[in-house]
Amino acid sequence: MKLSKKVVLLGHFGVGKTSLFRRFIDNEFSEEYKVTLGVQIKKKTVQLPDGRELSMIIWDTEGHSNSIEDTRKSYLLGSHAFIYVFDVTRPETYRTLNQDLEYLKENYTKVPAKILGNKLDLVNEKEISNHLTSQNIYFDCLASAKTNKNVQDFFSDLAKEITK
Amino acid sequence: MTIHPNNHLQFNPQIQVINLDNGGFIKKTDKNIFDWSKGSLIFEVHPFFEVLRNFEENNLFEKKTLNFPCIHIEDGKVEKICDITFTLEEQEVVIILFDYTTKYRDLNQIAQQKNESILLARELELKNKYLLEKEEFKNSFIANINHEIRTPLTSILGFVEVLEKTKLTFEQEELARIIKRESQHLNALIDDMIDLSKIESGKLKVVEERFSFYNLMNGFKESYSKITEEKQIIFETNIDPNIQEYLIGDSTRIYQILNNILTNAFKFTEEGKIVFSVTKNYQRTNKLSLNFKIEDTGIGILEENIPYLFERFTRFNTDKRVSGTGLGLAIVKNLVDLLNGEIKVNSAPEKGTSFNIKLPFKFEITKATPKRKKKKYTLPKSTTKFRILVVEDEEITQYLIMKILISQGTFFVDIAINGEEAIKYIERRKYDLILMDLNISKIDGYQTTKIIRNNYGDKFISEIPIIGFSGKSNDITRDKCIRSGMDDFIPKPFEQEELIYKITKQIAKKATD
Repeated sequence: MKLSKKVVLLGHFGVGKTSLFRRFIDNEFSEEYKVTLGVQIKKKTVQLPDGRELSMIIWDTEGHSNSIEDTRKSYLLGSHAFIYVFDVTRPETYRTLNQDLEYLKENYTKVPAKILGNKLDLVNEKEISNHLTSQNIYFDCLASAKTNKNVQDFFSDLAKEITK
Repeated sequence: MTIHPNNHLQFNPQIQVINLDNGGFIKKTDKNIFDWSKGSLIFEVHPFFEVLRNFEENNLFEKKTLNFPCIHIEDGKVEKICDITFTLEEQEVVIILFDYTTKYRDLNQIAQQKNESILLARELELKNKYLLEKEEFKNSFIANINHEIRTPLTSILGFVEVLEKTKLTFEQEELARIIKRESQHLNALIDDMIDLSKIESGKLKVVEERFSFYNLMNGFKESYSKITEEKQIIFETNIDPNIQEYLIGDSTRIYQILNNILTNAFKFTEEGKIVFSVTKNYQRTNKLSLNFKIEDTGIGILEENIPYLFERFTRFNTDKRVSGTGLGLAIVKNLVDLLNGEIKVNSAPEKGTSFNIKLPFKFEITKATPKRKKKKYTLPKSTTKFRILVVEDEEITQYLIMKILISQGTFFVDIAINGEEAIKYIERRKYDLILMDLNISKIDGYQTTKIIRNNYGDKFISEIPIIGFSGKSNDITRDKCIRSGMDDFIPKPFEQEELIYKITKQIAKKATD
């Protein structure tokens, strides 16, 4: 049976979850902002280093305004990984990050959560990295859906991690 | 946005019921929404259904029924937004799809507007922050460049004055005149740039002071009498005699506005006349509004150019003989706005231009007393010359000041190139006055002054009159000088007369203390 894993994109509205989703799945990007209502799901098959194929089922969820607890629980059921996306230019999108991660850890003990700061093209990488560290914001990756910087590598690494 | 499960109780959606066997194959289905066939593997019709595989793996069917609201399902050209319910029966899984596409698309529009307005507000906030930073940078850049340009300009203007007093041939006189004119033009450009920058950053404050209105008006008559004669044109002034002698307003800015318009009128009028009239619009209690009208019979402005007249660096006249910075009318408009006035322009090419400016004023109802005149000072009687210490690191300015002071015949001059050297000099010799550049190396002018004022018990040192000078000619610099203990401040480029007046004033004041 083909290997299949469910990965859910989470985070505040307007942080670029759909842009990352489109960049990863179809290698497309649009400047136009379109709200995601509910969830859209697509899959992409990735080749693992050991030769196996993994079908990554990506759930692009509707962004929340306050906390991750607003996200419908049924969307999170059966997940193999969460990607918590924030916008590096909007502090309000990472202000609740630590509480949100705590919530995920408590309720989905076995599911790894990766943190990705999007819109890296709008800032200086070193400066924002230092700033986030000074704010105690831990992140796994800073990327840009617009320029495709670090996007493919991030998903490849995630694929490896969830199939270990 | 909250999505309510079981919306199907309130709406009438299209419904599709699918029965699956335990292996995930479709046993039975209608085709009300999607054209899915019996025998198809559900995981392959859309990736959403892959979730069922995981549910079995993870034993998630504890609740028997699971609801998934607002799921986007595409199949070929059909795209629907559905609420989906999974129910686990004994031998099968029942899937029910409720098509709420229309309702969700309506909700989507509302969410789009709401989120967009929040993101737009944030974007505006960031843009505003960026613009403020840019503005701050621009202002500090202008202030710095101003300082850098004014220092050599002071030397040029000063040396031209010195040069003009020497014996020159006709040609040399003419060349000196050109250097002076061009340097003054450059100086005016710097002044204009600083004014505009101050207005735009909101740093230019309107001063309300009592001033003689007629003195101001007569000043224009005098200023333009020479050019009137040279150009052989008529300069007519009609001032309403009912206007109060003394008014309250910002006379400096009013002068700047009117002088700018008049300068333009004279620049662009080669024959005919310039009429300057002032009339009262209205007067109520202690307030009045005046209308200033400046009409000329000059070259005029094309109608299509009028809307751009008050923009920065706008010059419609391409004749290089006519000088101008292209900032004058932009400053005028900004100043008129700042004074809560109005400006209008009418013009016709080859016929002339007319500017109408309405400005508000106040006046005192009580009887007015005339303004004090600039007090005259003379140097105290002395058998020896007065000794001045010039603290300046630029050789050219040192030489210029020395030349000016020595030519008076009443001063000895010593030069110190920095604050440290200045301190050594004053400890060794008694000085009557120090001319202190603010931007000197090691210890700056302010700091050196503080040391002189605070570190010496000897009054001959601690009370030496100090005049600061700098290319940064603004009120903040002046205040900073006074606060550091200086007695006066003179901006660069300085006029010879002003420099001598200030030195004389301080030495005379010290002598009477």
